[in-house]
Amino acid sequence: MSVTREYGAVTREILDELLSALGKNRVLSDHDGMEPYSWDETGKNFAVLPEVVVKPGNTEDVRAVMRIAQKHRIPVTASAARSGVAGGAIPLRRGIVLTTEKMNRILEVDPVNRTATVEPGVITNDLCKVAAEKGYLYAGSPMSTFTSTVGGNVATNAGGAKGIRYGSTRAHVLGLEVVLPGGDVLSLGGKIRKGTWGYDLKDLVVGSEGTLGIVTKIVVNLEPMPGRTADLLVPFRTIGEAVAATSKILALGVSLLSCEYLDQPSVLLTSRYVKYVYPFQDEAEAFLLIQVEGKDEETLERDCDKVGNLCYDEGAIEVFVADNRSDSADIWSVRQNYAEALRVKDPYFVSGDVLLPLSRVPDMVRSIEETAKKYELECVVCGHIGEGNMHPDIFKPDQMELREWESYSEAFFADLIRHAVDMGGIGSGEHGVGFVKKPFLTETKGEVEIGLMRRIKQAFDPDWILNPGKIVDS
Amino acid sequence: MEIAVMIKQVPATDSVKIDPETGTMIRDGLEMEINPLDLHSLEAAVTLRDRAGRGRVTVFTMGPPSALRAVRSALAFGCDRGFLVTDRAFGGSDTLATARTLAAALRKEGPFDMILCGERATDGETGQVGPALGHLLGASVLTYVNDILELGEGYVVVRRAIEGGEQVVRAKLPAQLGVVKELNRPRLTTLRRRQAARETPIPSLTAEDLGLPKERCGLKGSPTQVVSISYPEVTRSCEMIQVGTDVDRAVSVLAEALLKEVAPR
Repeated sequence: MSVTREYGAVTREILDELLSALGKNRVLSDHDGMEPYSWDETGKNFAVLPEVVVKPGNTEDVRAVMRIAQKHRIPVTASAARSGVAGGAIPLRRGIVLTTEKMNRILEVDPVNRTATVEPGVITNDLCKVAAEKGYLYAGSPMSTFTSTVGGNVATNAGGAKGIRYGSTRAHVLGLEVVLPGGDVLSLGGKIRKGTWGYDLKDLVVGSEGTLGIVTKIVVNLEPMPGRTADLLVPFRTIGEAVAATSKILALGVSLLSCEYLDQPSVLLTSRYVKYVYPFQDEAEAFLLIQVEGKDEETLERDCDKVGNLCYDEGAIEVFVADNRSDSADIWSVRQNYAEALRVKDPYFVSGDVLLPLSRVPDMVRSIEETAKKYELECVVCGHIGEGNMHPDIFKPDQMELREWESYSEAFFADLIRHAVDMGGIGSGEHGVGFVKKPFLTETKGEVEIGLMRRIKQAFDPDWILNPGKIVDS
Repeated sequence: MEIAVMIKQVPATDSVKIDPETGTMIRDGLEMEINPLDLHSLEAAVTLRDRAGRGRVTVFTMGPPSALRAVRSALAFGCDRGFLVTDRAFGGSDTLATARTLAAALRKEGPFDMILCGERATDGETGQVGPALGHLLGASVLTYVNDILELGEGYVVVRRAIEGGEQVVRAKLPAQLGVVKELNRPRLTTLRRRQAARETPIPSLTAEDLGLPKERCGLKGSPTQVVSISYPEVTRSCEMIQVGTDVDRAVSVLAEALLKEVAPR
């Protein structure tokens, strides 16, 4: 049963308390200053203006904000790059937006423990760069690596193109410092790689979308750099051939860092945006983009042959090989700029994120096609097909009003998520629940599990001030 | 139409490190790739041949035996034949000795109507080998070529990027072209072509094959001496200027501050 909670308003006195705790450069309360914090990549139509935006510079600042928020029952929504697409950073109940953008220091790279310690506002690619300079790979980076922050990745348990090999963000979070409502600080995990030491609260906080605590420090795992890599770009005449080839590629036992899928409409759209044309993009219904790794040149060549020859056998129009940085950057630019290209075409497009057992991906691809037809929607599909994670993205029909679009697109995704769950899948592989998928989570999880989630939330945040309206309701 | 394409293997990194003792590049453990601008030469050469429907594209690289991989990739690009110019005696070559060695190779395997080079390589960044090679072969030397407008009997018309604009030049063949990335978009190579390229023999050319005396190549044949090498010191400082919300005042205060930083002309 859902309870509507009452929250306090940010009064002049509370504003003064925040100002004296953080200083005037760290508190915004004018409309124009706060407007960018009212929405994220989910779409501007969902914007909710906060009452105040605070920019803490360290853990002590965050504690001070949380003490004030707890005392006055003010909602607190954590925010950073606002690149999320499930509405996680939108302050649904107004109150305080706490942005971690000023907490953006890479505190340490520890070669002995093979870890990096960072603040949550670090842009993910900055961490990747620093790690690479020291000879390591930060493998938890999502496709939005240039815009998203490590804190945001932790909040959504973000995944990326390398997930097939390295897993999502959770697999790389070794330690967290978390501030609870009221200001208590938890230190969870650390520079350690395993543990049977009570319930694993760290793993619970990863993916909790700012509903359990504010993450103020993150210890991440660094991987040794992979060996040599080459990228294969493979156009297929039909979607069916591309999907069927994928499961056979995965069964080859070759070391893959990525196995991505792009359908023709998504390639045509993004290729116009990045001004790079994929060969055969007018004929191929689908493309696979596969990154092969080999410990040396011979292994790499052999394994590229294995994957490529299989693709030829499965009906690929051609197999293109990129083994230099320019070609690799070009062919990946289409995949990496996909979301931006969609946003340029339609600022109100809605992004899906279904996750399936690999064996059911062909059924899901068919289901997406049929559902789009049923709803008469233009739909483009890309995804981390090697992990069974597909992103069906739909565009608002020109004549449809925004309000209607919100419920219409919700109905479309409700159908798809139900199909996914029926097939043993779930409604979000990496984007998160936020508020846009909350009804589907509640519907598909069942009362017992949702009840447990509510009690966990209650235990961390008794007054439900942290990011209210997300994941579960009280 | 005989076209030669000169390619170089360079480290696949933007941060080349120099050994402070020897003044030479540290190449150990670095992954190598074809110099990015050379891919544009390859594309241009293969396109010119295919458009003409006749002719031959020959690729050359000078380097250690491991540079064979670059020649193989170039063959996968569609080149007809490839040569690896390699000899311990070529070690330590400066740009003149390199150009002299490559000129000998081209004389041996030529003659060529066109010699295409990337404008410069991302490691050495000198941009000297191409023009020196053109000069040694008595070819027209055309740098910064961003378009090949016409290829006629005995002449070529190209567009060059020059300071403040562009220049269209008609030059006699043979011509050596240094190309820039605006020239074209290099194609992707296919797995089938790469597999076929592995079967294509790639002859090596040594100092003896080229009839080059030892004192004319390698370190001995290089007049350039690296006396010392150092990284430039980069310093940044930040000055915060508080001016409030008056935009006009902010602009004039900023302009004044910037003028103070600029040396008077």
